[in-house]
Amino acid sequence: MSNISIDEPRKKLLLMGNEAIARGALEAGVNFCTGYPGNPASEILGTLAKVAEKFEMYVEWSVNEIVALEAAGAATAAGLRALTAMKNLGANVCADFLMTVNLSGTKGGFVLVTGDDPLAHSTTTELDTRNYARLADIPLLEPATIQEAKDMTRYAFELSEELGLLCMLRTVTRLSHSRGVVTLGPIPSKKRLAEFSSQDLWTSGSSSITCMLHSVLHEKMKNVQTKFEESEFNQYVGKQDAEFLIVTSGTGWLYSLEAINLLRLQDDVGILKLGTTWPLPEKLLASYLKYTREVLFVEEIDPFLEQNVKMTAAELQAEGIGPIKFYGQKSNHVRGEFGAGTGEINVNTVVKALMEIRKIEYLPRRSEYSEKVQKIISSYTPPRSMSFCAGCPHRASFWGIKKAIKWYGQDVIVTGDIGCYSLGLLPTGFSVEKTLHCMGAGLGTANGFGNLKKFGLDKPVIAVSGDSTFYHACIPALINAKWNQANILYVVLDNNTTAMTGHQPHPGSGVNALGSPSPRISIEDICKSIGLEVRVQDPFDLEYAVQNIYQMLQTEGIKVLIFRHDCPLTEAQRREKKPVIYVDQDKCIGEKCGCVRFCNRVFKCPGITWDYTKGKAKIDELICTGCRLCADLCPEGAIKVEETV
Amino acid sequence: MSATPLKGPNELQEQVLAKKLCSACGACTNLCPYIDMVEGKGAIIIEPCGLNEGKCYNFCPKTHLDVPALDKIVFGSYREDLALGTNISVMKARAVDSEINEVAQYGGVVSALVTYALETGEVDAAVLAKSQDQISAEPALVRSRKQVLECAGSKYLVCPTVSRVSETMEQIRGGKFCVVGTPCQITAIRKMQASNFETQVDRIGLLIGLFCTWAFSPDVRSLIRETFGQVKVVKVDVPPPPANIFVVQTEDKRFGIPLDNLRRFIMPSCNVCFDMTNEFSDISVGSVEGEENWNTIIVRTKKGEELLQAAKNTGILEVRPLEQERLNHLREASLIRKKRVLTEKEADKVAYLRIRDEDKSKIIHEKGGS
Amino acid sequence: MSLREDPLNIIVTGVGGQGNILASLIIASTAVQDGVSVSVGETYGASQRGGAVMSHIRLFEKRQYGPLIPEGKAHIILGFEPVECLRTIGGFGNQGTKVIVNPRPIYSVDVLSGEAKYPSIDEVLNAIKELADNVYVVQAVKLALEAEDAILQNIVMIGCLIGSEFTPLKNETARGVIKEIFLSKSERYLAAFELGAKEIKKTKPL
Repeated sequence: MSNISIDEPRKKLLLMGNEAIARGALEAGVNFCTGYPGNPASEILGTLAKVAEKFEMYVEWSVNEIVALEAAGAATAAGLRALTAMKNLGANVCADFLMTVNLSGTKGGFVLVTGDDPLAHSTTTELDTRNYARLADIPLLEPATIQEAKDMTRYAFELSEELGLLCMLRTVTRLSHSRGVVTLGPIPSKKRLAEFSSQDLWTSGSSSITCMLHSVLHEKMKNVQTKFEESEFNQYVGKQDAEFLIVTSGTGWLYSLEAINLLRLQDDVGILKLGTTWPLPEKLLASYLKYTREVLFVEEIDPFLEQNVKMTAAELQAEGIGPIKFYGQKSNHVRGEFGAGTGEINVNTVVKALMEIRKIEYLPRRSEYSEKVQKIISSYTPPRSMSFCAGCPHRASFWGIKKAIKWYGQDVIVTGDIGCYSLGLLPTGFSVEKTLHCMGAGLGTANGFGNLKKFGLDKPVIAVSGDSTFYHACIPALINAKWNQANILYVVLDNNTTAMTGHQPHPGSGVNALGSPSPRISIEDICKSIGLEVRVQDPFDLEYAVQNIYQMLQTEGIKVLIFRHDCPLTEAQRREKKPVIYVDQDKCIGEKCGCVRFCNRVFKCPGITWDYTKGKAKIDELICTGCRLCADLCPEGAIKVEETV
Repeated sequence: MSATPLKGPNELQEQVLAKKLCSACGACTNLCPYIDMVEGKGAIIIEPCGLNEGKCYNFCPKTHLDVPALDKIVFGSYREDLALGTNISVMKARAVDSEINEVAQYGGVVSALVTYALETGEVDAAVLAKSQDQISAEPALVRSRKQVLECAGSKYLVCPTVSRVSETMEQIRGGKFCVVGTPCQITAIRKMQASNFETQVDRIGLLIGLFCTWAFSPDVRSLIRETFGQVKVVKVDVPPPPANIFVVQTEDKRFGIPLDNLRRFIMPSCNVCFDMTNEFSDISVGSVEGEENWNTIIVRTKKGEELLQAAKNTGILEVRPLEQERLNHLREASLIRKKRVLTEKEADKVAYLRIRDEDKSKIIHEKGGS
Repeated sequence: MSLREDPLNIIVTGVGGQGNILASLIIASTAVQDGVSVSVGETYGASQRGGAVMSHIRLFEKRQYGPLIPEGKAHIILGFEPVECLRTIGGFGNQGTKVIVNPRPIYSVDVLSGEAKYPSIDEVLNAIKELADNVYVVQAVKLALEAEDAILQNIVMIGCLIGSEFTPLKNETARGVIKEIFLSKSERYLAAFELGAKEIKKTKPL
């Protein structure tokens, strides 16, 4: 909704964190943008893609994060400004290039935005990507507000270009997906041209060259540090020369400010908010630590600031600063639901920490109220687990796999991967999948499970992945399975989109990030070219789907079954006129033998609900997407389809 | 009135499926989404439905079969003939129509009777077993003479015929139909009719039973294909003893596989089956030893009697008395089988069978036992 | 513009797919256009697949606030689903909280599979009443159907919020925001909005 392309400096706009980052890149005159969909960063590239034509930018969804980073790196080597955006785990995928690019140096401004996910809302880990900054010698910026998300992104390009280094901006879910008011800056009109010739050398070298470049990199980082000492992104509020200091970054800042206000500690403590968190502005730190007796660290996920500041403080002891008592994750004062160093922080986290350390009494609500809450909430709020959407083909696929495994009559190992279908681990997917790690791990681990026969494990293995995942990570594992003769039935769930992250296109979609027609790369063609048996099947034809799996389970080697059916939530599907589905109340036998509420209790499509008073199934017209699968499955034929003319 | 105590899928799993006693009759499948027939080889419970009582357990021929109670429901009284079950008459017969005789295995009586019942409107459809390759069998719903003839010929592999019964109720609105089945299949249908569940029982107009000693699992096809490749099979047969072979006839040759090589494919459920002559049908049909063009017929109910008389009087069937020697032989064969089952060492496998104690001792200790 | 509370904390709560995010966007945009600053916190992605969703909308003038409302500090809760409304009050409500709730239940897979029990609507509404100041029950789906489509229930609820005058946000401004978003298709959304705004005025608290 928010139009980030408007050229009105000083105008105030309500923007999402990711939109603000995109706007910051625009204000820096970015030319080349890449990424791979991943929560919470997906909207950054998505937003840039929408305005790509207007600003004559090149925007691409890459097949995975390392190609994304490498392509962008090349653009910067050619003098352009480039941005790559990804979720935290994407940094692992592009780590190889990340470790070498600052050694080789860059030319045009090069900014990497990583989106971390405290509490792992949509991720299989709580990876804190700030650690990469230290590991790979990358200047690191952490925005604390939506305004900073924009301003820091713009600044990151300037810093990067000045020093010839990739710079990193680390955001978290709570910032990326929050909205706030942002004051816009100007968008530059000057255009750039790319230049790179055979005279140019762009490498991190090897042996002594690498060491020399490494030394140059260290010098550059010292340069960065000097700049960071004066950065406007580092702020101090509160008591002058405070003895109790909160050191914080990112979302911790606004949480800490609010916590201080709630506990009325505005005049007692100081808050040092760092926006430039690697390399640390040590002189700046020293100027505050001079007066400090106690420090509380407030940050998301890892004790990154905590450990690095403690190192600085240790060195400062020689100059007579300290001793200082440190509180944070190590002392177990800052903790999420499951302990320190895990989960999301919020205002309450900081309040609790301060209450414990400063021995303050504070009740957010009257205790009688809190007691009432305890009793009531445990009695009247049933859980609400995640579920596949109404009409989702994965529901059909997993039911088919479950049936086929029962037909087979013996234990089968089913490995899973990253996408909407990860929910195959849960009851909504009939708990068919048993493993989940990272992109490509389903087929990757199946390569192991499928070659343990000599050790006595001779069970069939089914590896499940999505279509986007196939292109991203599974092709090498597929080749390995053929080459090393693993026994695997590889089921590709092809719903023609990258659904979980917002329906972005992929190499099989036939369109690119801008929505323009693009070559369609066929999954089955790739499999056939490796010499594999491939079958393509619509999972909604459940009878055939089950038969195919059942038959393929009984053959050796690696074979592929593609379950192909569109996600019901894509634009194209939404635009199609869907029939009205309803339950014939006379034909529905509900709880009786022959059905026992199969559609809503066992198959569990959220489009079907149960009328507890009538004892009959009912279609929830607000949720039903008109896929008709329930009508096919109803044992009494009680679910009817009313075609609209 | 129900002849079976009410129990459900958990007991079905425990007492039948887990013990590999399923005969793939199809009675428990097509009733609900929770039980499947796997490639005609046997039933599988996909997921327990959560009910304690259900049709699946109650219709299964290998769960709680109270023979005297079912006799009473079907025939009105307990059987007097312990060897052959309740019967009005026993005879031999053959079809007169040459078109039927062309495709029949032996006397063509089943094809003739079903065709007659369809053409006279006694039934509107029939559920038979059909084979595409002369080896496997699938249930088929037929309504015309042509379709009946396509189903002619004996099938030696199990076929989930009863799975088509509930479907057929849907497909022929209000009509009556007949079923041709093996003893376990016919028993299942009778249990269905005797149960407390709503089954539209009176729409099953006629039950024609086939004699049966055993049947193969569909797994036998792998051995047959290994031996003969993809050659087209024209007919299969199991000739009577002393021949101990399974005959496979192609277009130009006749092969015999020793039955001993195939015994491992016989369904385990056949080893604990009490019923060789299909004791609960309206009319049972089998072969005649030594006379390839005739069938043995046992008429059991009034309905069966009426059909047979009508077919005989209209000249559809040629009927003759069955020779005493052959009748004795038939009774003996049936009794030997019953004796073996009743003295089965693994008693839990035959625990489903309830017969009166006096009948049990008669069968075990006496010869002939009529 | 003067906020009676600064920050004024509003939570929109419901089930993934009910149009939670669109609702919070409209409310937040209205606030910005009425000259108030906002901070909105919500989660996308996995948690939306049939799970519970909350949007925290914080209106402020004096200084900036983070996107998450602290425990027990919600002033207004807009509940698209009754159990989610209750769950949210449990975490963020207090004795002064005002609640507008749509009483139409959405059963979760946990309930439908028989593992958990969904309380009766009366039980839920009574529980909400015990934990809040004033509770307004609005049959948003029925009203949405009058505006042509049951899916507009979230727009009806926004109408209720603005029409209730618990916030200083103006009716006219909200209508302008709706027109800006939906352009030529605004008619049904405006109709739904108006139905909500009118309905709340004649609704008495429980």
